[in-house]
Amino acid sequence: MVPTVPPAVSPHRRPPRGTVRAYFRNIRLALSTAFDGMSVTMSYMFRRPLTIQYPDKIDKPVQEMLPESYRGVLEVDMDRCTVCLQCQKICPLGCINIESCKNPETGNREVTKFDIDIGLCMYCGLCAETCNFDALDHTREFEATVTTPDQMILHFVEKPREVTKLKAAEMPVRKHKGSILQKMIPAFGRRHPQEVWTPTAYAAAPVPALKAPTATPKPAAPVASAAPSAADSPTPEQAP
Amino acid sequence: MNGSIVQVVLFYLLAALALTGACLVAFSRSIVHSAFALLGTFVGVAGLYALLAADLVAIVQVMVYVGGVLILILFAVMLTARVDEGKESNPTVGKIPGLLAMLAMAGLLVVTAVKAFGPRTVISEANPPSTVSPIGNLLLSKYVLPFEAISVLLLAVLLGAVTIASGRMRKGAGGKQEGEAPR
Amino acid sequence: MNIMHYLADLLVRSLFKADPATWPYTWIAYAVVIGVGALLAFAFVAIFAGPVTWIERRIAGRIQSRIGPNRNGPQGCLQWLADGIKCWLKEDLVPATADKPLYLAAPYLVFTGMFGAFVVLPFGAHVIAADLNVGLLYILAVTSLVVVGLLMAGWGSNSKWALFGGVRSAAQLVSYEVPSAFSLMAVVLMAGTLSTQGIVGAQGGWPWQWFVFRNPFLFAAFIMYFISAIAEGNRTPFDLPEAESEIIAGYNIEYSGMRFLFFLFAEWANMWIMAAVATLAFLGGWQIPGISPERIAEAKGWTFVGWQALSFAIFVFKGTCLVFTIIQIRWTLPRLRVDQLMITCWKYLVPLSMGSATGVLLLMALVREGGIVDWVMRGAMLLVGLLVAGAYIRKVRATFMADRDNYKKMEGRDLWYPPYRLP
Ligand code: SF4
Ligand code: SF4
Repeated sequence: MVPTVPPAVSPHRRPPRGTVRAYFRNIRLALSTAFDGMSVTMSYMFRRPLTIQYPDKIDKPVQEMLPESYRGVLEVDMDRCTVCLQCQKICPLGCINIESCKNPETGNREVTKFDIDIGLCMYCGLCAETCNFDALDHTREFEATVTTPDQMILHFVEKPREVTKLKAAEMPVRKHKGSILQKMIPAFGRRHPQEVWTPTAYAAAPVPALKAPTATPKPAAPVASAAPSAADSPTPEQAP
Repeated sequence: MNGSIVQVVLFYLLAALALTGACLVAFSRSIVHSAFALLGTFVGVAGLYALLAADLVAIVQVMVYVGGVLILILFAVMLTARVDEGKESNPTVGKIPGLLAMLAMAGLLVVTAVKAFGPRTVISEANPPSTVSPIGNLLLSKYVLPFEAISVLLLAVLLGAVTIASGRMRKGAGGKQEGEAPR
Repeated sequence: MNIMHYLADLLVRSLFKADPATWPYTWIAYAVVIGVGALLAFAFVAIFAGPVTWIERRIAGRIQSRIGPNRNGPQGCLQWLADGIKCWLKEDLVPATADKPLYLAAPYLVFTGMFGAFVVLPFGAHVIAADLNVGLLYILAVTSLVVVGLLMAGWGSNSKWALFGGVRSAAQLVSYEVPSAFSLMAVVLMAGTLSTQGIVGAQGGWPWQWFVFRNPFLFAAFIMYFISAIAEGNRTPFDLPEAESEIIAGYNIEYSGMRFLFFLFAEWANMWIMAAVATLAFLGGWQIPGISPERIAEAKGWTFVGWQALSFAIFVFKGTCLVFTIIQIRWTLPRLRVDQLMITCWKYLVPLSMGSATGVLLLMALVREGGIVDWVMRGAMLLVGLLVAGAYIRKVRATFMADRDNYKKMEGRDLWYPPYRLP
């Protein structure tokens, strides 16, 4: 037999229902609990509100308060893109549309089109993980309001340009995330006219501790061998 | 006060309100409309009382009839099944007995009114004295016996209602009396 | 002589150079003055009910660590206007299966019931539309029109949620009318009159002359009246008729546009009526401390106007304090269950308020007013009131201090943010 524990007699035991003691206890409880509750709510009249008043009455842009791994609108740094088409292939929705051709005069490959339909994109992050050159990545921009539907297709190539032949390590430093988008969507650039919106301020934003420093892609890694890293790639400035 | 024209106009307005309400009660196709039309009658009659400078009676009329009786009637009507159907409302039993009952009632009322006031018009003063304390004094001195008798009657009614309700509750709840009360 | 008669007589005397007692058209002047008075009262309701919605939302925001509406106008103080205009411009929908006449009439009935009560509220020494001999009873009576209106709305909407809401609110109002009437009866017994001005006149300007601190039974009656008034006004924690988690919005669920606004308007106006009745019955009404009503009545010219304005301000201030308490209660206490609601009324409030009325009678018979026992009782009750207030302030401070250090550690900022500093 399992020994039964005798029921603990609580000092606040409820008196039996229907007794006079229970009646007056209820009255006392009703008054005292209302009193306690009122004093708690009254104390909140003197406390600082927690609300962040997006978009205007805030200390710093909301983009800076978001975590580094936030998946915002996609952005491509064409200086680093090798037009390997990995991102186009992996996108489940086919939002990425890349076209390239060989320039008959110079014999170099040229990319003529790099479109991302952000109206179609579901921000799954597969393309960003696939890109081995840290060219395609999510930014922390989210206010992608546009006035017509066709503006939702972002054209990252305005006129045909030569595809880089450099190895990843030799490539120019990744442009600050968000800086390309800000030029493309007026709303991004116009967001905080009173604030100086510099890439350095963006880069200096605190990096969440979760981010493992080992997740940086090896600079000399060849195209095919590098497996997509789990964490999204940090900017080269932050890489050790 | 020379506002007698106003009083006459008011009198006819209130009387019209009361009568319209009464007619609606009698002739409406829907029993819910009938019940709501009682409101007009009650308020109109209360207005007539107020015109007669019977302020306490007027207020009590509104309080008891609108705030109590009408609400109870509405509850009863709304809880009735198939209340929406027109045929539930005002079935006529027979025209002749109805007419006779109406005539008898009217005769009774006219006789009472003539006996009480005689053929004269009652016009209230501008600032009539309060009727609250005279009525209170009378209730507790001259009419104390009827007053008490009524209160005993009400008590009996209350007890009866409790008895019926508790008897039905015991039968309806069956054996699950223990478990039904959550706290 | 109230302000209406005074103004009407003044009008007749100055404009027509006639004696109001004999002039045959005095009643026209009376009608005009009454019409203007009704308009003014309506304006007061609108001007009060509107901003109070904004104030309530700001207070609710602070209580919930939020901010509340602060965009329309300076600090959002025109939010109520925006909401009102929005409601006004919305389409007035009538459900296809609604019982049309009832559905259309209900908001007006509710509004009439609420608005009617304003007639006897004594806003100041002579600022009252009509000082009826049966003032308090009149308030209780006209508010019963509201019940009929709510039932009408519930039935007319032909929606089960609306019907539930209407029936619930009717049951609630009818039940809670009993304890509130008994609590007010204690006051009526003390004052010996039903007229609202008479009740205010029976008290004085100083707190120890208020009915609430006269004796323990009246103190209890005040608390019970306050609770039942909140319940009659369908305010949280007694807001079962509009319990949004159970029956969505109750009786007004099918309404939109102007008619919906009428319901809202009535609710806010009712809050003010509750507070005003509690003020006039228990908290000394408009009485100015140290100034007797006779002195006000005898004053001439601008002094008279000044006293009126001061008494008006005092009344509105006391009422507003109570309104604030009602708002705070709404954002503090959770909603009761239906059975708890009825138990609170019939098992607790009704017998206790009967007891307090009886106790007041007993004390009136045993204790001579102005005698030593009377003064001891007043002093003791005042002391109790002060002690409760002191305990409240201590408790508020303790709750605040308990979180202050943690907040500082976590946020690096001070938790203190006074209520007058609006974010
Ligand atoms: S995966 Fe990267 S490098 Fe390859 S095409 Fe896409 S963006 Fe360019
Ligand atoms: S985030 Fe996903 S859906 Fe969007 S473009 Fe990349 S792969 Fe396609």
